[in-house]
Amino acid sequence: MKKIPRMMAAVLALVMLLSLAGCGSSDGKTHLSFQIWDTNQRPGMEAMCAAYTAQHPDVVIDVQVVSWGEYWTKLEAAAESNTLPDIFWMHTNQLLYYADFGMLADVTNLYDDVESGYYQNHFSEISLGNISGSDGRYYGVPKDKDVGVLVYNKEMFDAAGVPYPDDDWTWDDLQEASQKIHDATGNYGYMAHMDDQLGYWSYLYANGGYALTADRTTCGYDQPGGKEAFTFYINMQKENWCPDQTFFTQNGAGSTFWSERGAMFQEGSWSLLSAIEDYPELRGKWDIAKLPKAPNPVHTEESLDVDGRACMSNGLCYSTGAHNKRLDVVLDVIKFFGTEEANIIQGNSGAAIPAYLGTEESWRTAFEQFGSPINLDIIFDSFDFAVQVPFNSASPRWKSQVADVLSQIYAGNQEVSSGLDKMAEVVNYETARKLAGN
Amino acid sequence: MSKPKLSIAERREENWGWFMVAPTIIGLCVLNIWPFIQTIYTSFCHHEGFGHYKFIGIQNYIDMFSSGEFWKATWNTVWFCFLTVPVGVILALFVAMLLNTKVKFKGGFRTIFFLPLVCAPAAVAMVWQWIFNGEYGILNQLLNTKIQWITNPKTAIVAVAIVSVWSSVGYDAVLLLAGLQNIPKTLYEANSIDGAGRVRQFFTITLPMISPTMFSVLIMRLMSSMKVYDLIYMMSDDTNPAMADMQSLMYLFYRSSFVAGDRGYGSAIVIWTVGLILLVTLIQFWGQKKWVTYDI
Repeated sequence: MKKIPRMMAAVLALVMLLSLAGCGSSDGKTHLSFQIWDTNQRPGMEAMCAAYTAQHPDVVIDVQVVSWGEYWTKLEAAAESNTLPDIFWMHTNQLLYYADFGMLADVTNLYDDVESGYYQNHFSEISLGNISGSDGRYYGVPKDKDVGVLVYNKEMFDAAGVPYPDDDWTWDDLQEASQKIHDATGNYGYMAHMDDQLGYWSYLYANGGYALTADRTTCGYDQPGGKEAFTFYINMQKENWCPDQTFFTQNGAGSTFWSERGAMFQEGSWSLLSAIEDYPELRGKWDIAKLPKAPNPVHTEESLDVDGRACMSNGLCYSTGAHNKRLDVVLDVIKFFGTEEANIIQGNSGAAIPAYLGTEESWRTAFEQFGSPINLDIIFDSFDFAVQVPFNSASPRWKSQVADVLSQIYAGNQEVSSGLDKMAEVVNYETARKLAGN
Repeated sequence: MSKPKLSIAERREENWGWFMVAPTIIGLCVLNIWPFIQTIYTSFCHHEGFGHYKFIGIQNYIDMFSSGEFWKATWNTVWFCFLTVPVGVILALFVAMLLNTKVKFKGGFRTIFFLPLVCAPAAVAMVWQWIFNGEYGILNQLLNTKIQWITNPKTAIVAVAIVSVWSSVGYDAVLLLAGLQNIPKTLYEANSIDGAGRVRQFFTITLPMISPTMFSVLIMRLMSSMKVYDLIYMMSDDTNPAMADMQSLMYLFYRSSFVAGDRGYGSAIVIWTVGLILLVTLIQFWGQKKWVTYDI
């Protein structure tokens, strides 16, 4: 009798071990996981992977989509337990945090056998800024680039008899047009919702303000250019043609625009193709324009020379963990992702504007099937005055705290000027704390 | 005093006992007790990133107790419990009593009341978000009002409480129903022969007889209300101007630990919440002697 439990335990243990072994690949191929957060870009990413695996039949790449809301929680937990996906998208907000902790593989010398200065020759300065760690090494291969543009509803402009936004549009024109459209149609004008990259940052930089100094240590929200821009942007919600923040929390600016209740809002270039696909009945009724200029920008030493016009630009990159077990295979895949060929595949799929210089125009291809209903030149022209989305290694820490203060301003519990002082204080405190190493 | 010596058969039986409970005990230790100890330690640390902690003593607690946001969240949590627990339990009792009477389609009604529990909380929150929508919501249409339920600091937490009660009432009612059906019919018969009316019957028989069930329902409801997080997460976000007036302790913990990455501070919030729940539960266990009847 006594022997039986031991036997059972031994059998059980054996079964468990066998089932564990079953988790490994049985087809003799190398299986890699590739984690992204945007479902719309999945076909494009899969097309790139297919191009790679066509040349390397012994590799299988599995593209997994994790929603933006959970992406960073999951990725951090995975990094901590050393189970990072083999390849993953990296965002500028987080890159320094991961890179400075030695979590990402250094890819600076990835293309040394191809061409010296490959990165400098084929990617823009903004792209390189997005992949650089604090030590100046590269921790990812640039994937794409984007800009924010003004999206407007042509029918509402026509109904109010207002000319469409042009290159000379200023903040005053924006307000005037909004008022006229609201008076004539009862719809909202420009929808200035609480958002950094697609909201107040472009106004901040256009007005000669800045979020962070060039050395990324000090916040500029409390500087004159910053205060003026924020005051302008936040106060738009007090006009009758702009919904207030309580409205935007429940009904996004985008959904209000696409349900034809608002005339203008700022949107990222990455959303335009899916908007054309998702709202077939609106095709031809809307177009895009450059963001309006600041009428009297403030000039200081830290101001960027953008002549009253700015739009925020960001770019993602492909990264892998520093401790990946199949680093040689993974790096070879990532290396391919940074080639002209892979960038053109990405562009043609309409996923995003490729980062590789000279392949950007391939992105237009995806719009041709719809008869190119919007003026894509605007996007390519906007890169001339694009500003890198500001971030530093403490970004994950201060972002939510800044949002807290800002929502208090929107709620009317905090004055704009003192609120901005508080926001700058938070950024400076968290940045200093991070730099001091605790 | 020495332990009485066990015979071989008894010892074998004891070993078997240990063997049988081992999976549960190991699970409890690995998944609950060890993380709890770690959380206590973490609350005295600063999280530098990716699981690297630096001991900083009670600094997190000092920061926490001097933070207005934290006290506001504590108050929100208490207020939320106040809004959900009494109303929820009374409503559940009412529903249970209705379901215990002779109505047609009793099975159908029971299913309907139990349905919210089967629905995924995320889906529930999404649907209610639209019901509460200030512009297009059906609630405002019905009441002919224009209340911004989710974004008005005064109503935001009430809106969450309504959803919470709605989704928990069915489950509590089923528990109470089981309690009601255990009451012997003879008690009511004897009571009505003695000339007691419906109301008197309720207070002298029904209430005392189901008080043990009521007690466990109360404890469970209070604990889950103190830990409310998912509904707030689903129904609101960082751009909500009413966030400060609706975030619970657990939501603040989530934001500190996982959004801002400050896990030491987040752990301190958790420890405070655990203490709070412990205190309330102790008070309840002490108070039960006054009103819970365990024997007829």
